[in-house]
Amino acid sequence: MLTTLIRRELLDNLMTFRFAVAVLIMLLLVVANTAVLIKDYERRLEAYNTALKTEDRRSQELKTYSGGRLNVARPPNPLSIFNVGLDKRLGNEIWISHSFVPTLWDTGTYKLTNPLLNLFTSIDIVFMFEVVLSLIALIFAYDAITGERERGTLRLVVTHPVRRGQILLAKYISAMLCLLVPLLMSLLLAIILLTTSTVISLSTGDFLRIGGIILSSIVYLSVFSLIGMLISTVTRRTGTALMLAMFVWGFWVLVYPNAVLAAIAPPQTSQPRMVSAYEEIKQIWEAFDRERKQFLANDTFPGEDPDFGMVDADPNWIWGSSYEYFHKDSSTLRYDYHAVSYIDKLSEASKPQVPHAQDYYRFLGPQIVNAAERTWLVRKQALEAIFVQPAIVDRILLRGSPVGMYDAATQAWVGTDLRGLRDFFEAARRYRRALIDYYYDKNAFGAQQWFSADNGAVDWDSLPQFSFQRSDVAINAARAFPDICLLLIINLVLFIGIFLVFQRSEV
Amino acid sequence: MWHIAKREIYDNLNSLRFALTTVLLLGLMLINAIVHLQEHPVRMQKYHDAATESLNRLKSRTHLYQIAQEGPGYLYKKPSSLHFCADGGEDFLADNVYGGFYAWATDDLAGFWQLDYMPATLNRQNIRPDTIKIDWGFVIGYVLSLIAILFTFDSISGEREHGTLRLTLANSVPRHTVLIGKFLGALVSISVPFVLAILMNLLVISTASEVQLGTDAWSRLGIILFIAMLYLCLFLALGLLVSSRVRQSAASLVILLLMWVTFVVFMPSTLASIASGFSPSMTYDEFNERAIQLVSELKGEYDARLQDMDEHPAQKMAFAGEYVIKDVTERERLIHEYLTQQHAQIQLARSVTRVSPVVLVRHLLEVFAGTGFERHQQFVENVQRYAREYREFVTDMDRADPESPHIIGTYEGMSKKPIRPESIPTFEDTLSLGRDFNAAAIDLLLLTLFFVVFLSGAFLAFVGVEV
Repeated sequence: MLTTLIRRELLDNLMTFRFAVAVLIMLLLVVANTAVLIKDYERRLEAYNTALKTEDRRSQELKTYSGGRLNVARPPNPLSIFNVGLDKRLGNEIWISHSFVPTLWDTGTYKLTNPLLNLFTSIDIVFMFEVVLSLIALIFAYDAITGERERGTLRLVVTHPVRRGQILLAKYISAMLCLLVPLLMSLLLAIILLTTSTVISLSTGDFLRIGGIILSSIVYLSVFSLIGMLISTVTRRTGTALMLAMFVWGFWVLVYPNAVLAAIAPPQTSQPRMVSAYEEIKQIWEAFDRERKQFLANDTFPGEDPDFGMVDADPNWIWGSSYEYFHKDSSTLRYDYHAVSYIDKLSEASKPQVPHAQDYYRFLGPQIVNAAERTWLVRKQALEAIFVQPAIVDRILLRGSPVGMYDAATQAWVGTDLRGLRDFFEAARRYRRALIDYYYDKNAFGAQQWFSADNGAVDWDSLPQFSFQRSDVAINAARAFPDICLLLIINLVLFIGIFLVFQRSEV
Repeated sequence: MWHIAKREIYDNLNSLRFALTTVLLLGLMLINAIVHLQEHPVRMQKYHDAATESLNRLKSRTHLYQIAQEGPGYLYKKPSSLHFCADGGEDFLADNVYGGFYAWATDDLAGFWQLDYMPATLNRQNIRPDTIKIDWGFVIGYVLSLIAILFTFDSISGEREHGTLRLTLANSVPRHTVLIGKFLGALVSISVPFVLAILMNLLVISTASEVQLGTDAWSRLGIILFIAMLYLCLFLALGLLVSSRVRQSAASLVILLLMWVTFVVFMPSTLASIASGFSPSMTYDEFNERAIQLVSELKGEYDARLQDMDEHPAQKMAFAGEYVIKDVTERERLIHEYLTQQHAQIQLARSVTRVSPVVLVRHLLEVFAGTGFERHQQFVENVQRYAREYREFVTDMDRADPESPHIIGTYEGMSKKPIRPESIPTFEDTLSLGRDFNAAAIDLLLLTLFFVVFLSGAFLAFVGVEV
């Protein structure tokens, strides 16, 4: 019986004009958009590769341990085509140094060709589903019950020995099947386009992630389908149902996600927290500076000049200067000390100073690492409270609409959400640890190569390469799980609601 | 006709959609006003602080060579007091141009200042979710057009389905009267909540002491309201057109909504991205390479000339001055070329996306609100004009001093007389309504054209339709 009902409903829906138009438009939009998104991804990948090459060239020139910066870059996420999230917006280059622990707030960006192109918002595939397919879902569902009631066919169906629940189920299943057609077809086309692109190679994990996106999409669309059916059961006339459905759509999809954050005033960045944390960090470094000066004062070498008057043999050597500075930024709680020295060939007069300098840097290195670690302990908590917590509150507010949940779930699947991006910074911090271990291993802090390239340049080849792997599919799934669950619960509640209303309604 | 319009209005005023529309528009406009009141004073304060600091630095210079070499420093774009009408993607547009000196210097020479158009500093630390700004552009462009569709999709097809259309036409009313009546009815019933919402928004904004709206701003607001009405009419006409062509109201709604989605979602972003590919600008690396090459070429040329020449100090100085000026002109030309290419790329994309009325209305609102890309270009022009003025000032001051050797570019070759700080020209970022009208003319024409086409289409469709 159920199958007969479903078949009837399906035929009813599939043969309509609205279905044909919806599928056609959906396919057109997705194909055109995917092509643009792939182009955009290729551009970003190219920028990333250029950044890698530049970095490679620069690291060749680093002849002393302290002589310059070691940057790592974040590759663009190929699945950001589905949901771009924070992938494009956050900084993608970070400096790895033993003097500070890198965080999301210390990033730079590699150059883009025309920064004004940001004026045009780019939309991703999930956004299309979010807006267009939810609309189509409502259009398919709004007259499911009212329409039949108006035409009088509902009465006819109910006179047969079918349970009302079965009628509902049949209508729901057929509506979902109809929605699956544009969803799967457009995704399929998008994947075909993706695979034809030469620069994008999708792994098995990526296909599983796309599977996750499909799952989330189905659950999300089902919510809108059920909202449509609920409206359809409670209203008497199709016209009213349609109007209500459209306003519900406009509110949840268009207005709520954009207005809620503006309407509910964002919590002010807790200024006192910021100031106290910065004060604490400042004290760490001031203590460090005192010890440093103490060391220089107790040293057998007179004066307090940390480069001990060492100069290059070639007086015109422009890079020969050593410099030191404190990097201070109270808005991101950054405070760290850098002592850089790069002397290509020591002058004869400077050679006696070398042991002093070695002593000094041998003392200084671990001190800096230590101060940086202690700063990190303070900074981590403060940044978490000042920046991350409000962002999490924002995202909770956005979950007031199914759109917010769907967006969060898909971002979690593709790994462009906040947690996914923080994985990169986790990797950067691990790499910093590796760098420090490498320094200790090579006894770099006390080596002459720390400040001068007299005994040959530093051999960076033995330093482990930085590599960043996106998190495992299982982790993505676990991150997406709560939102999918929420959507499922909403589905269930809506279905029960419809069932109860429909059971009692008069035909 | 008034009878029909009146009937329509009564019909609409009692309906659910009218109530929902009123609530929605009032809510959005209230949010818009509150956000503006929070953000605008901060923005103005930031601008004033930065501009004053830059001005003070400029006024502290007394020496002509210093003025000529170091340049005016940072020049800031004045924030618009009508920012709540259109945000215009201001986050992605730089709010300043740097007129400062280039970092090369030899023993006796230093490079002169140039205009440097730095990209906007994006907030890379911002981890809050992305949202569209709730400005008038959003309310009018997205929400109002959706509402217009919801009010008209069934106005003809619905009546045909109910059979009342036959009844109306059985009376001795010409068809176009019916159509115009329906159009006016819908227009009035949407205008009421819309104008109400706008008035409330302006009331909240203008009563606050932190924000002042001058006469100029009010006339701009009047124009914006006119544009909004034109845009509303356009979507009403589109709704009537589809509604009279299509038999079922449901089908008419589907068509209208999908058209809306294409106009609102697809065209402004995807089409712009496609179009911007047709006019690629030079890459940053290319620009950088050319800049380095240029500087070293000119330096080589100068060095070669110096070697050929005997040690005649006056002539040497003349060559040095020539070299410095040529260096800065060439560099500025290159930077300008880079900027022009970038702007051309954006301009092309913007022109292509004009096929969507939503984009048209956004452009128009941006122009009249004094935000966005058009405004940015105007700011850049203002800066360039000021740069010319500033350079002329240096030459004039130098010329006025009879003791100076009149060789601009070198320390010795220029006037040593102290300069009064008041006489240094200062940068004034201005906006002119006349120029804005010029920029908006095409958009305005296109918007009217869309309206006329849709309305006459609706008329033809309705006249030809069988009831």
